[in-house]
Amino acid sequence: MTAQTLDARPRPRLLPEFRMTGKAFRTLVRTQAKLLCREPAVVLSGVALPLALIVVFGLIPSFSKPAASLGGKTTLDVYVPTFAMLSSVLTALTALPVTFADLRERGVLRRLAVSPVPAAGLLAAQVTVIATAAASTALLVALIGTLGCGAALPVNIGLMLASYLLGTTALLSLGLLIAARAASAGVATGFGVPAMIVNFFFAGVYVPLQQLPHLLRTVSGFVPYGAIVDTWSGSGAAWQHLLVLAGYTVAGSLAAARFFKWE
Amino acid sequence: MPAIEVSHLRKSYHGTTAVADVSFDVADGEIFGIVGSNGAGKTTTVECISGLRTPDGGRVRVLGLDPQHDREALRRVLGVQLQESQMPARIKVREALELYASFYPDPADVDTLLEQWGLADKAKARFGKLSGGQKQRLAIALAMVGNPRVVVLDELTTGLDPHARRTAWELVEKVREAGVTVLLVTHFMAEAERLCDRLAVIDRGRVAALDTPAALAGLGPASAQRIRFRPSQPVDVAELAALPEVSAVEQRGAQLAVSGDADVIGAVTAYLARRQIIAAELRVEQTSLDDAFIALTSHSTKGDVG
Repeated sequence: MTAQTLDARPRPRLLPEFRMTGKAFRTLVRTQAKLLCREPAVVLSGVALPLALIVVFGLIPSFSKPAASLGGKTTLDVYVPTFAMLSSVLTALTALPVTFADLRERGVLRRLAVSPVPAAGLLAAQVTVIATAAASTALLVALIGTLGCGAALPVNIGLMLASYLLGTTALLSLGLLIAARAASAGVATGFGVPAMIVNFFFAGVYVPLQQLPHLLRTVSGFVPYGAIVDTWSGSGAAWQHLLVLAGYTVAGSLAAARFFKWE
Repeated sequence: MPAIEVSHLRKSYHGTTAVADVSFDVADGEIFGIVGSNGAGKTTTVECISGLRTPDGGRVRVLGLDPQHDREALRRVLGVQLQESQMPARIKVREALELYASFYPDPADVDTLLEQWGLADKAKARFGKLSGGQKQRLAIALAMVGNPRVVVLDELTTGLDPHARRTAWELVEKVREAGVTVLLVTHFMAEAERLCDRLAVIDRGRVAALDTPAALAGLGPASAQRIRFRPSQPVDVAELAALPEVSAVEQRGAQLAVSGDADVIGAVTAYLARRQIIAAELRVEQTSLDDAFIALTSHSTKGDVG
């Protein structure tokens, strides 16, 4: 090597680049939305499943009767928020990472890497699509549950909405982190599904939270789905939970954009 | 200013040298070829030029831009067709073109591109349903969608049937007619000979030769004249091989292949005439770019890469 040889390493950036035109972003969102609609697995698990569950629960007469063990609430009352959140959990932790890993495995991301699209823009467009689908599903579940089947409205709608929104962004950020790195759809599933099971566990889907030891209940407040459910229960430390969820959102999405791998 | 400048490019992966020392300049409006065996370092070189990889050393400039520091500016003027890169299986041809068109400040018209690259009747077809040739045409159309000034085509015709390959060659010539500089990576000599103004032969991460295809063909071994024929009677192979103009004789069934220097044809025909032997199915092979390529890179089969 001669003396004039330069080392061409770029200086690492602290924040990811995000410069793209509105037109490019809109086209990306539209295209990714169309592609998502053409994936039957995503549509079935992320949209159809939560809707089917709330309809089935709404049709079981005993679930609409107040139960002393639930503090006077009906089974339906308890499950409306859980099912409303289900689409976010499923799409954020499975559909989102698997979609990206699959694009990476096929070299689609490699091709995008030589176009003027920044990684952050690509992630943001996909999140927009997934979040819209999840939020629409949640809204439908809530409407069917309350207006359709007569479940009680939440006491504090503002807190409910805030925890739903921050909870969804927290889960999406976790999904994004897997999406940013997973080399194949198999790897993405390998990380996404256990993350989902952990979230379900700490949200009391398998065992009611009240039956968990104190330590696990404390941990539950630091797992996104657990923090969300505890906020809804009305007995939890709502502001602490919202802070935890905001922390996941900011740290997860920045790390995802920063450590994004095109191939 | 050259369209592409590469000087002393170097890149290793985990201790294995992919590119040891590669330098070349591509003039504006040129079709420049990079040829080499599999694993010679062609794709790594192209990936450094496209900004997909960070070189370990050396200097790369595309239209004066540094692919590492001026990524955004580079991506607006550089079109790339990558080896083994796909579209999502469920995206439609028109959607893919419209998507990529939206990324660029001054894109080409999608309908014109569909027409130009013979994809108009496939506009609504999903990528997964396209044939190899159609996918390749879409890949070039996508490389052209941003109205680039330089395009990189990596292994454009690998996996195409001979007919589709010829069509692809015409497409590359169309790209150049549009005033675009083309960097073409290939391992087909016939393709390099037909399309390239100049080419670099890359071997074990270094430039083994760089010239026009005609000049490179002349670099082949001086004794590369070869004649093949079927003798009407058995020939004494040892006697034929003993002729001063002959360097090698090979018997393949009823056929003889005789290699030698520039005078080998005269010597062999005189020898045959003396013995009243008729040479049927006589063919004379000139040195070609293929021979030059083999001569330039043959040592790499002994293999001491890394």
